[in-house]
Amino acid sequence: MLRVTNLTKRLPDGTVLLDGITFTVRKGEFVGILGASGAGKSLTMRCIVGLTSASEGEVAFTGEQGKTYTTTTIKGADLRRARRNIGMIFQGSNLVKRLSVLENVMVGRLGRINPLRSWLYGFTDREAEEAMDALSRVDMARFAARPTGSLSGGEMQRVAIARAIFQRPLCYLADEPIASLDPKNSLAIMRLLQPLASEHPILGSFHQPAMTAEFCTRVLGLRNGTIVYDGSPKMSPSQLAAIYSQEPNDERPSEPQRRPKGPMIGGAVMAAGNPA
Amino acid sequence: MSDATAIPNAVLPSVSFRRRAAAVAAAITCLAASLAFMKANPLDFFRDFHYVANLVGEMLPPNLALLWRKKSILPSLGETISMAFLGTLGGAAVAMVLALAAARNTSPHPLVRGSVQTMLAAERCTPNLVILLVLLTAVGIGPFAATLSLLVGSIGMFGKLFANAIEQVDAGPVDAIAAGGASRLQVIRYAVLPQVAPSIVANIFFAFDVNLRAAVALGVFGGGGIGFELNVARSVLRYKDMLACLILVIVMITVMERVGDFFRRRLFRLEAVLE
Amino acid sequence: MTWADFRLERYGRIVKPGAVLLLLTVLALWRVDANVADLASGITKGVSIFRLFLPPAWSAFPSMIQPALVTVLLALTATPIGAACALAFGLAAARNVAPPWLRASARTAMAFERGLPEIVILLILVAAFGLGPFAGIIALVIGSVGMLGKLVGDAIEEIDPGTVDSVACVGATHAQMIRFVVLPEILPALLANMMFRFEVNIRASVLLGAVGAGGIGYELTLAMNQLEYGKATVAAFVSFVLVFVSERASNLIRSRVLAGDRLA
Repeated sequence: MLRVTNLTKRLPDGTVLLDGITFTVRKGEFVGILGASGAGKSLTMRCIVGLTSASEGEVAFTGEQGKTYTTTTIKGADLRRARRNIGMIFQGSNLVKRLSVLENVMVGRLGRINPLRSWLYGFTDREAEEAMDALSRVDMARFAARPTGSLSGGEMQRVAIARAIFQRPLCYLADEPIASLDPKNSLAIMRLLQPLASEHPILGSFHQPAMTAEFCTRVLGLRNGTIVYDGSPKMSPSQLAAIYSQEPNDERPSEPQRRPKGPMIGGAVMAAGNPA
Repeated sequence: MSDATAIPNAVLPSVSFRRRAAAVAAAITCLAASLAFMKANPLDFFRDFHYVANLVGEMLPPNLALLWRKKSILPSLGETISMAFLGTLGGAAVAMVLALAAARNTSPHPLVRGSVQTMLAAERCTPNLVILLVLLTAVGIGPFAATLSLLVGSIGMFGKLFANAIEQVDAGPVDAIAAGGASRLQVIRYAVLPQVAPSIVANIFFAFDVNLRAAVALGVFGGGGIGFELNVARSVLRYKDMLACLILVIVMITVMERVGDFFRRRLFRLEAVLE
Repeated sequence: MTWADFRLERYGRIVKPGAVLLLLTVLALWRVDANVADLASGITKGVSIFRLFLPPAWSAFPSMIQPALVTVLLALTATPIGAACALAFGLAAARNVAPPWLRASARTAMAFERGLPEIVILLILVAAFGLGPFAGIIALVIGSVGMLGKLVGDAIEEIDPGTVDSVACVGATHAQMIRFVVLPEILPALLANMMFRFEVNIRASVLLGAVGAGGIGYELTLAMNQLEYGKATVAAFVSFVLVFVSERASNLIRSRVLAGDRLA
């Protein structure tokens, strides 16, 4: 179960980008976040995984055994431990292009592998077998030895999903996973994501209401950093308008895209861990 | 639980680990063997490091008074700069002519092209040392030999670069001017040269930086300039003087880099304005 | 624009810089004691010189093999060691890996090193460690780090930040991110640049040999000093072959690496 409580993000100049976001995602749910550009979808995702630090609020996710992890008030090794349990999928798949497909999947469990062992030896055969299973689930097993850069966008996104599966997380996060894909590939990806909800809660951000209507179990509507809708994925036009319509006083700066200053490896500056 | 799809050997971790480990082991063995052959013990680096410390102690503080105490130091800087300057310009001039003969679209005859290209390639492969020694024998010790050596070296460097630039020239203007009845030389002057001028100028500035460092190096061999002074200081064990020369070398190179940048930008700004 | 204006512009564009250039050239020629007489006598001497240098004393060839090997091994050992050190320096010089103070110091150190010709570095090392290949290897390693370190640092800075974020999100440590993101992404560039540096190091090795690092460069200068010109020609020939072969090998490996990378 993923619980977000009062997530708030304020810029130094006072602009509020996220305001008191609160919601829960349970096992079996495939929750989609909808919103216009700049509404805060990606920012919410990044705050949940700790890539951007939140000004206020708490994110907690709990597994079967009841062990709870939070990502908002911790840094360093603790943040890394928490991140193991989030299977994140990005818009551009963001895989390491020069590694093979199989290696990219196995990268998913780096959080649980001893760093020394991963440096000196690499992965084990057993991990490779499990990674092949994950690849089979997304129907990419035959690409295992290919360099990832030679794959198409849709294929890479499937590998990204395989990586998230291999990670054995407590929940899945997807930041606009189908935004760069054509309709056919988008459908394929959504069809792969949907069954995952029966194992772990999935939270994804999308900008196609048609997709969420068909595949999601619940939809959150985000507008100007606040949740304006939380309910059935099948929405009426007026409900959609409430999320998407632009009014004159809706002018707001877009989410900060600038890179935080300082060491990037490890995530956001303020939540940045101490170098390993 | 495992799948019917077998894991290809290329990515099977145990196999790839063994492969990697073998490669690393082989590399380290070769390295160790080479070092042993040359009687170079890497541990000596740490064992004898106190020599380095001693040397540094002897080199500091640098004897910057050398600048005004020894009359020949500043002129030697000028000498080094002049060597690089002349070597670069002269080399560029000669290389331009040779490049025109070596480029597919301006060469008068394939035989000429082939022989010029072979000559240029041969020159590029000849170590600078060989050229310098030959020239030292021919014109005697001193900056002149070093200048000629840099010149010859630059010819090799520029020859290929210029020839490539000429071959990549847009054929349109060339054909147009040739169709107007211009002679070969006129075609080159009005169609080819203006197109290659920017890249040639850029290459010249880059080569000047390279040649400046080379001029210092050649100076060590008796080519004159600050390199010569540095070597002299070292051979009489005046290490403070040596460090002073070293600092001068670095200052000169940095300043010349900036000067070069300044002139290059001015030249291109002028070009852009007149476009 | 009238013809008069055009001529004026042309004056500014061509004549003025041309005059400055001419002035500088004359100054420089005076500075280097350029002597047309010397050059003329040198050219005439040059013909007789060729008779001096030829025929090459092929009998001396077998004695050149060991020094040639030393020269090649000097470059062959120094280049990988230099590349390894350059990796460390490159990590320190990359904006997305190192804190600003480390990046600034690493880049300044490397720029500083690039300003020094290898000979000068060797002279200092010889003063400390004595003559021989040992000082030569260290000099070449230091030289390689200056060039390769910058290239590696630039390559690391160009890594897609999304990829880095993505691996950070699985909970990887910094060390793991270097192993699984940085290294694979920059390896082709590093290998290609390393081969280029190998070429440079072979030439430098010949030059350094003359200053006391041993090898074919030493044999060449020795022969010249002993006025054994035939022997010097053989040494020169051998060094020529070394440079030529190293260039071919480097081109071959580089094209292989880049071709293999294009599939990725």
